[in-house]
Amino acid sequence: MLEIKNLHARVNPEEGEAKAILKGVDLTVPAGEVHAIMGPNGCGKSTLSYVLAGHEGYEVTDGSVSFLGEEMGELEPEERAAKGLFLSFQYPVEIPGVPTLTFLKEAANAQLKARGEGEISAPEFMKFARENAAKLGISSEMLKRPVNVGFSGGEKKRMEIFQAMMLSPKFLILDETDSGLDIDALRVVADGVNALRSPERGMLVITHYQRLLEYLKPDVVHVMADGRIVKTGGPELALELEAEGYEKFTGAAA
Amino acid sequence: MGVAPQLSAFEAALAASLPAGELRAALETAGLPHRRIEAWKWSDLRAALAKAPARAGMLSVNASRKADEITTLDRQPDLLMPRLAAGLSEGCPVYALKDGESLSLDFEGSEGASHHIAAVNVPAGVSATLHERYRVVAGGFANIALRIVLGEGATLTRIVEQDASPNGVLVVTTGIDLSPRAKLHQTTLGFGAKLARLETHITHAGEGAQLVLGGSYLVASGLHLDQTGIVRHTGTNGATRELFKGAAAKGGRGVFQGKIHVEQAAQKTDAQMNHRGLLLGDGAEIYAKPELEIYADDVVCAHGNALGAVDDEALFYMRQRGLSEARARAVLTRSFLAEPLDAIEDETVREALLARLDAALEAVS
Ligand SMILES: Nc1ncnc2c1ncn2[C@@H]1O[C@H](COP(=O)(O)OP(=O)(O)OP(=O)(O)O)[C@@H](O)[C@H]1O
Ligand SMILES: [Mg+2]
Repeated sequence: MLEIKNLHARVNPEEGEAKAILKGVDLTVPAGEVHAIMGPNGCGKSTLSYVLAGHEGYEVTDGSVSFLGEEMGELEPEERAAKGLFLSFQYPVEIPGVPTLTFLKEAANAQLKARGEGEISAPEFMKFARENAAKLGISSEMLKRPVNVGFSGGEKKRMEIFQAMMLSPKFLILDETDSGLDIDALRVVADGVNALRSPERGMLVITHYQRLLEYLKPDVVHVMADGRIVKTGGPELALELEAEGYEKFTGAAA
Repeated sequence: MGVAPQLSAFEAALAASLPAGELRAALETAGLPHRRIEAWKWSDLRAALAKAPARAGMLSVNASRKADEITTLDRQPDLLMPRLAAGLSEGCPVYALKDGESLSLDFEGSEGASHHIAAVNVPAGVSATLHERYRVVAGGFANIALRIVLGEGATLTRIVEQDASPNGVLVVTTGIDLSPRAKLHQTTLGFGAKLARLETHITHAGEGAQLVLGGSYLVASGLHLDQTGIVRHTGTNGATRELFKGAAAKGGRGVFQGKIHVEQAAQKTDAQMNHRGLLLGDGAEIYAKPELEIYADDVVCAHGNALGAVDDEALFYMRQRGLSEARARAVLTRSFLAEPLDAIEDETVREALLARLDAALEAVS
């Protein structure tokens, strides 16, 4: 479903020199599977998620990404979103003055329109929102607030998963969705993510902790170090990392 | 009296239309305001009018009711533009607002040069609304002077709409007196003209008087809007809150000049002024000059000014959820610009202005 081949990317900051961050990522996630990526701070996990989502701040210098059999090439972020790619941000962005539900309804309709499908009706949308909010323990007051404004770190993550549920994407990238969540919230959010699992849907879960993976039960775990996947294994790999740390893998990458 | 050689044909014709006297002499010596005059450095009126048709135009004023009387101004304005407006108008319509009244004045300048003055009185204790709208057709120059007096404890909600007037030139100079305990809430929504200047001078008597001054502007390519406001606190315990937010598209120019002047007698003044500008593309221009001039020692005064572009990370976030780049920009710009308008209490008026803003945003994106 998602095929990443030899992906190289660099950042071109406004000040300073260009810096290579992804240095040949190879990764394939078939439909229906959940893959986890673990790796030390700064190894390029979020960069990978941004590049997959089409962020213009990163330049792909080599390699390719294909999604549902189609080359992503130079597709705009909104085109990728309409094809069904959803990124749950490590640091969700605050958008003052734009109520969450208004924003989501517009996003949903923009995606439907891009796919040539009819708009969702307002009552249908509201019903769906109430159902999903209830599943995640999100109050209607929270839904009326501007997108992410004034939410705690954990609340923002919960809202990211709410947005995923509302947009029903084909593929989810969760970038440290577990960070900032308390123990109960982690369970609620993990249940929400598990409810989205289906044979047609793939997921890439970036995390530092075993706990989220205990709930999500990934099919495959990848270790990333210095811009590459350096080890791929089963769920037991996450346990091994938790016990021993990254040292032996980062050593292998150097 | 000889015409000074540097006068443009427009200025010469304007001078010729005035009776000989002080005003005509002033115009002949100095000409119209231009960029080498500090207060007009970003709005060169002389240049904007240099090639404008000099013949007399028509200013139609569509008022929601008749004026109470037509008089002459009790006091001549000091500044050239309102003096010209007074000197070239026949009488000054005066509207005395009644409690609960909403007066609307709709000004439209035709081709050619037109001048107009009007006065609005809000008697002591009266609470009323004044809703003005300005537009100038292509090839027109409208110069309007307004005098507004709020009596003790009077409350006025003033709404000013300035429609996009490509190739028109507009100058509106308003002098406002705020008596003790009076309240003025003024909100502007402006879109600019070839050159538009909304200049407001407020004398704030304090003694519990409150001023809320704000506005939103959006200038598209080729349009220019200058909002210049001077608030002079003359008495103790006056409060002023200013919030202006504006956006300029590529080729558009916004100007904000705000000054709060606190006289020595105006102790315990509490004044804040804020301007925020959003540059929507390369080649967009916003110039801002916020100033505090304080002669009293026991006051709380602050001002802020910031210019920036749309937040790229917010843009990416919204696009990741499916909004087109243009739409994401428009939504972010809208939420930025809506804040001063959101403070309008009357829901119908607020929604109408927001709808105008939305329509204008759609046209620039
Ligand atoms: N816009 C940028 N400008 C400069 N450097 C950048 C930029 N984006 C990423 N980097 C650098 O690229 C490297 C990878 O960053 P990235 O955010 O992808 O790491 P990460 O694996 O997600 O780390 P963490 O676990 O801390 O979230 C870091 O060294 C980071 O400083
Ligand atoms: Mg990261």
